[in-house]
Amino acid sequence: MRIKVVCHYLGLLVAILGFFMLLPLVWSILTGDPVSAAFATSAAICAAFGLLLWWLTPVGEGKLSRREAILVVAGGWILASLFGSLPYALAGTFTSYTDACFESVSGFTTTGATVLTSIETQFESILLWRSITQWLGGMGIITLFVALFPILGIGAAHLVEAEMPGTEAGRLTPRIRDTARAVWLLYMGFSALELIMLLIAGLSPFHALTVTFSTMPTGGFTGTNLSIAAFDSVFVEGIVIFFMMMAGVNFGLFYFLLWKRQARQLLRNPELKVYFGLLIVVSLLIALNLSADLGLSAGEAFRQSFFQVVSVMTTTGFTTANFDIWPTFARAALLMLMIVGASAGSTGGALKVIRLVVLIKYTYNQAIRAFNPRTVVPLRLGKAILSDRVVSRVIGMTVLYFLTLIGGFLVMSAVGLDHETALSSVIASVGNVGPGLALVGPAANYQFIPPLGKIVLMGCMLVGRLELFTMLVLFTPSFWKWR
Amino acid sequence: MYVIIAGSGIVGFHIASLLTEGKHEVTVIEPSEEVVDSIHSQLDVKTVLGNAATPTVLREAEVSRANLVIAVTNNDETNMLVCFLAKELGAAMTVARVRNPEYTGYFVSAAKSPSAPRKIIRPKSLGVDLFINPEVEVAEKIKGVLSSLYPSPVESFADGRVQIKEFRVNEGELTDKRLQDIVFPHPCVVAAILRGGEIILPGPDEYITMGDHVYLVARSDSMDEFGGMFARPQRPVRSVVFYGGGRIGFLVAESLEKQEIAVKIIAETNSRCQEIAARLERATVLEGDATDRDFLIEQGVPSADAFVAATESDELNILCSLLTKSLGVPRNIVVTNKPGYIPLAEEIGVDLAVSPLLQVASRISHFVIHGGAIAAPFIGGKDLQVIEFVTSATAHIAQRSLTEAGLPRDAIAAAIVRDDKVTIPPNDSVIRPGDHVLIVSRPSATPAVERLFK
Repeated sequence: MRIKVVCHYLGLLVAILGFFMLLPLVWSILTGDPVSAAFATSAAICAAFGLLLWWLTPVGEGKLSRREAILVVAGGWILASLFGSLPYALAGTFTSYTDACFESVSGFTTTGATVLTSIETQFESILLWRSITQWLGGMGIITLFVALFPILGIGAAHLVEAEMPGTEAGRLTPRIRDTARAVWLLYMGFSALELIMLLIAGLSPFHALTVTFSTMPTGGFTGTNLSIAAFDSVFVEGIVIFFMMMAGVNFGLFYFLLWKRQARQLLRNPELKVYFGLLIVVSLLIALNLSADLGLSAGEAFRQSFFQVVSVMTTTGFTTANFDIWPTFARAALLMLMIVGASAGSTGGALKVIRLVVLIKYTYNQAIRAFNPRTVVPLRLGKAILSDRVVSRVIGMTVLYFLTLIGGFLVMSAVGLDHETALSSVIASVGNVGPGLALVGPAANYQFIPPLGKIVLMGCMLVGRLELFTMLVLFTPSFWKWR
Repeated sequence: MYVIIAGSGIVGFHIASLLTEGKHEVTVIEPSEEVVDSIHSQLDVKTVLGNAATPTVLREAEVSRANLVIAVTNNDETNMLVCFLAKELGAAMTVARVRNPEYTGYFVSAAKSPSAPRKIIRPKSLGVDLFINPEVEVAEKIKGVLSSLYPSPVESFADGRVQIKEFRVNEGELTDKRLQDIVFPHPCVVAAILRGGEIILPGPDEYITMGDHVYLVARSDSMDEFGGMFARPQRPVRSVVFYGGGRIGFLVAESLEKQEIAVKIIAETNSRCQEIAARLERATVLEGDATDRDFLIEQGVPSADAFVAATESDELNILCSLLTKSLGVPRNIVVTNKPGYIPLAEEIGVDLAVSPLLQVASRISHFVIHGGAIAAPFIGGKDLQVIEFVTSATAHIAQRSLTEAGLPRDAIAAAIVRDDKVTIPPNDSVIRPGDHVLIVSRPSATPAVERLFK
């Protein structure tokens, strides 16, 4: 492994991050708040550190190996989180550096869990930076990097695969760089569209920007204490619901629709059907539950349940109602949706709908084989037949996902949280959702959790964002041996 | 440029790797899932799993926008079918690897005009723009080397009027002289020097040292007179020993037989020996193992003029040819499928290593160069490319001189052919449409050269 090569790309990455700090800097100067110095210093530190590292480690030809790519991706996310916390630290937003870091990790991983006790009292530029970190993390900073820089042939493919596992099958174009460009272009297109619509709906430019920057990456930060409920507008809720749903769809399908004019891909996609099916069925069930238990009108019950379901399942974490005070069934259903998550190839997190589909079909096949062991039942997904290797990868990933949840749950219990808070905080962190239940519910925040707990949750968020393996292989001894 | 490669054996894989280095878009079609996985971990290409000879699979690979389809599966019939379908579905250019000579060379007399024989298989009606046959190409190359006085490869351009030839410097007369001080008997251009595994594009004050490989461009008819300057000519080949009962050995042996050259073929299995013996009239066919020193001496191999190792195993080929060299055979040629072995083999004493793979890459590489290239073989491994351009009227370089157009640093113009007149080295006159211009360039500079002729 060539550490020098890894450092070279990491340097460039940090420098790009510094460039994006210019946006809140401009906002800070325009609004005349006192934290513009913090942004200027942070940007300068990022640029200086990044460019120096980049310049000190010249690389010649040679391909980036898979191992090096994994290290660039894992290291890139960690460095981005660390450097992204500089503005908070320098502006004195938080009393401790752990909190600044937590907010930054929560931003980049598009979790949207906050340690701010009051949001509206913060400077607009700081809140804007929170949302920008989410926007960068949503489609992936490494993917953006690959799209921007003409690098490295197979190395680029390794990078993108380490950041968006499962893209191996979903490579859209012969060159991975074109794929990276296409998805980022789609992402920016959707974002621009949402921004315009929110402005038309009457949001101030600041709120329109922060909400947009947090919707498309399925992040969840807003500039208000009450999240989307603060706007109290059906129109705004409708726009946000629509774009959250789009962000939770595999972007490859949009690519086929817009570039290749193949609507068939979209209509026949088995994952998409289950995704929308689940959204609608669970919304209706929760609406029934709400109107029966809380006595809400049918319309109001559906409006609340639909928004919350979409927000939680796409792992965004916006809220228009405090679902923590909802009846038990509704809360349990939402907690389960946090584990399922959005579609593969989307900006959403968690386990992904496709894996659920594969697991259920696999279990069904096993059931058939239980009473007749000689039947041969292929695992069909749409028209394709999945091979044993693909299925076993899904099973391995799921097992690891649940092991991570269990491990996190035990640690969070150990630092003194009650069961419901401990479990939901871990599920919401690994799944990059944001709000959980009980003490970390929509109306609460993560401020009260002890530092050790916060560090564990940060780990959960990063591990969850990179779909476990990319982060966790760093802990296997053989990854480091035999350089 | 968008290229689809059907089949990812050794040839398919290496073509894909060459093309991705040149920043082309590549999709590989391959039926084996394991192979697809290994491609994914090595190349930045899209893969489509399945049988390339079916329209669904080809369509999934977006054949309609393909500029070039290269069919190199193991099966001749599949390859032709792939090209046929690809052409029907809208591919611009197709190349098929066809090994069986019956497909490309079988003639019949048509009933209507008995005097005019025609091929049964006409590439155009099959949708194949180019047939390639790696074994035949390699056999041709080996034949060329064996019939020349110097054991080195040669490439011809402009209908054979101009050649580029590689010479090994192993005589004292020229060494440690500067290029500008050397008096050549005929006009020529020293296009490149291969020294210690590295290609140098020499300036006029570059020195030539012992052990260099010099790439010289000159008129074909004067080429042999240059040889004596660099190395002592070897005596003409009168006897050749082949090792390996494969197609390459057989093809070369067959044509050498006609030139009255004594041929011995060593093959390992009795059945293969029988087969070869039945098809060759005068050749001596021996059953045995060419790594056996005593066997070689017993069969008189040390007194042969040349030894060609062409078995399936690259390692075996190299080892045997070293063995025969130590026994006193003056020339040895090795066939290898791994291009990485070529510099290595030549380093340790093999006179010439040829690779079917690089032959194929050389044959098709001009298809991916825009701007009227009609040939672009690689020489010296894959570090140098010789490109023959036909200048079009709209080309950037047309109606300009070479200095005016500004060639990139890693490229030189070696010859200009106008009608029948060959100019070497090219003077600085204006280049006219229709001129053939021969450019020697590193692959990295090729895109810049391309732009001049676009």
